[in-house]
Amino acid sequence: MYDILIRGGLVVDGSGAPGHLADVAVKDGRIAAVGANLPGEALQVIEAGGQVVAPGFIDPHTHFDVQLLWDGAARPALEHGITSIVPGNCSLSLAPLKAGDRAGLIGMFQQIEELPPEAFTQAFEWTWEDFAGYRAALEKSLSINVAPLVGHSVIRLWVMGADAQQRAARPDEIVAMQDLLRECLQAGAVGLSTSFVDVDEKARPVPSRFAQFDELDALCAVLGEFGRMLQIVPEFYDTDITIARIDQLAELSLKHGIPTTFSPVFDSHLTPQAAPRQLARVAEQFARGARVWPQMQTRPIDISFSLLRPSLFFARLPTWMRTLRLPLDERMAALKDPATADRLVTDAGPDGGARLMGDLIARGGDAIPPAFAGRTLGEIAAERGEVPARTLITLSVEHGLDVAFLAANRGHDRTDRIGPMLADPLVHIGASDGGAHIASFATYGDTGFLFSEYVRKAGVLTLEAAVKKITSDTAAIWGLKDRGSLTPGYAADIVVFDAATIGRGEERPVFDMPGDGMRYVRDSVGIDTVVVNGEVAWAKGEYSGSASGEICGIA
Amino acid sequence: MSVAAVHNEATIVGAEIAGGHDGTAEMVVSIQYENGVTGSVTLDADTGVSVMKACGAADLAALIGRPWREISKGL
Repeated sequence: MYDILIRGGLVVDGSGAPGHLADVAVKDGRIAAVGANLPGEALQVIEAGGQVVAPGFIDPHTHFDVQLLWDGAARPALEHGITSIVPGNCSLSLAPLKAGDRAGLIGMFQQIEELPPEAFTQAFEWTWEDFAGYRAALEKSLSINVAPLVGHSVIRLWVMGADAQQRAARPDEIVAMQDLLRECLQAGAVGLSTSFVDVDEKARPVPSRFAQFDELDALCAVLGEFGRMLQIVPEFYDTDITIARIDQLAELSLKHGIPTTFSPVFDSHLTPQAAPRQLARVAEQFARGARVWPQMQTRPIDISFSLLRPSLFFARLPTWMRTLRLPLDERMAALKDPATADRLVTDAGPDGGARLMGDLIARGGDAIPPAFAGRTLGEIAAERGEVPARTLITLSVEHGLDVAFLAANRGHDRTDRIGPMLADPLVHIGASDGGAHIASFATYGDTGFLFSEYVRKAGVLTLEAAVKKITSDTAAIWGLKDRGSLTPGYAADIVVFDAATIGRGEERPVFDMPGDGMRYVRDSVGIDTVVVNGEVAWAKGEYSGSASGEICGIA
Repeated sequence: MSVAAVHNEATIVGAEIAGGHDGTAEMVVSIQYENGVTGSVTLDADTGVSVMKACGAADLAALIGRPWREISKGL
């Protein structure tokens, strides 16, 4: 008797091989059998006719470290078909962390994740200091699998205290960091993350940025003892420096026998040679035997802003820039002044800003009435009998300037350029940042977008190749044991979806963070059922409340 | 002869706005060096605003033709 029998779906097993009609049987949390018309009964039968049955997707770049402590499903990641996530990126993890250092780390996390303060004071109890303790706290109620990285910044903080954010480490401190990293890896960390760009809430560089190369080299020596991953955030805004980091990663990879990965890699029409140059260097280093995996996200980049802060969105409009650079009280007064408002509208162009601003979307989740959320400024302006520039001003003034607008697809948005890069065997699809920047944009649905944009619309990847990219490829890159494939004996992480409709929903604000904090999310589209370690975790729009997630083992 | 060669120093030859990793608008500045090579520098939102303010540029177009030395005072 099987636990679950998924019948009659198009099995796309993660290998890249053509899909074939078959049944998938699950027993004791594992794939028990895959084949046509499997005999035997099951406690639960899932009819998958007309749908794809694939391994659960793996997201290699997330920041769900905190959210997992009250939401073991990392919502809404799981409902998008993601069954395993890698948190702890960009040098930050919640362990190891001494009690006295918690306040400092909270500031760093708030800077990156934009979580409300209540997320750290009300939503969970700090029961740990070491990595094993954090792992134990996580394991209590996981619905999703977790492959946690340990952050370089917290390792420095543990060993050096406040000096971690002030100076290079002494030799004895480096040895102490090595010992601590070794302990974390033994407790289940899948690797080490570090950052060359991140800052804390006071705009100070995070501790990892004070490390000199000998420190990173020493830590990579420990990673080499376990064959584990080094993840970095390079100076991605500068192509030449990023290429130097690629070379540095390659040397560390070759010297210590470790895989490395960096993110993000963006494509932009303003710097069209940036991503191709980086990927060309990656190819050169792979040819030498190094493993340097560039992570590229699927979703385009949107720009969001409100008039609470000056935004470069207006950098082509002199009157707007001058007005928005004023101190807040003076800015508000200027925007309320009819003569100034008239000048701003005039400056927006003879069409009243229709071309520049008409497509802006009122985002919601702020002071604007919910009825306006999700609508374009052009639509709202027409309803009010105004031109878009006027409406942008009046709507903002009416609501204390706390009105957010979104300009969609303003970077990394050329499917014809990005598609071939995503299809490159040396490009690691990732960098979703799930669970981060939560009040700025939705970091969910990148996997759905991979299928809707790059498989169905552009045809640059086959269904099978896309599945392979975010399942078995990811598992292999990270060394996740027995995951990413519908192979008998592997963990029964399975997603059933409709290949014709899988995608991502519209971005929308929700208030489901601790303290009624706001974040932007996207609902899944076309996902039918998600199975984690042999238990249905989400099906037909509902979370089951299962707690079958676990800390991923390493091959 | 390049603009930068005429000025005998690195000169701004272009400035555009792009979406940044964190969802804010960033400034991508194209710089031409004295030897004629052109490169780009991406400035985050705060730095971009600061640069414009520091050199008194009312808009992006006002940055073009200025020496990078002058612009970089706002960094």
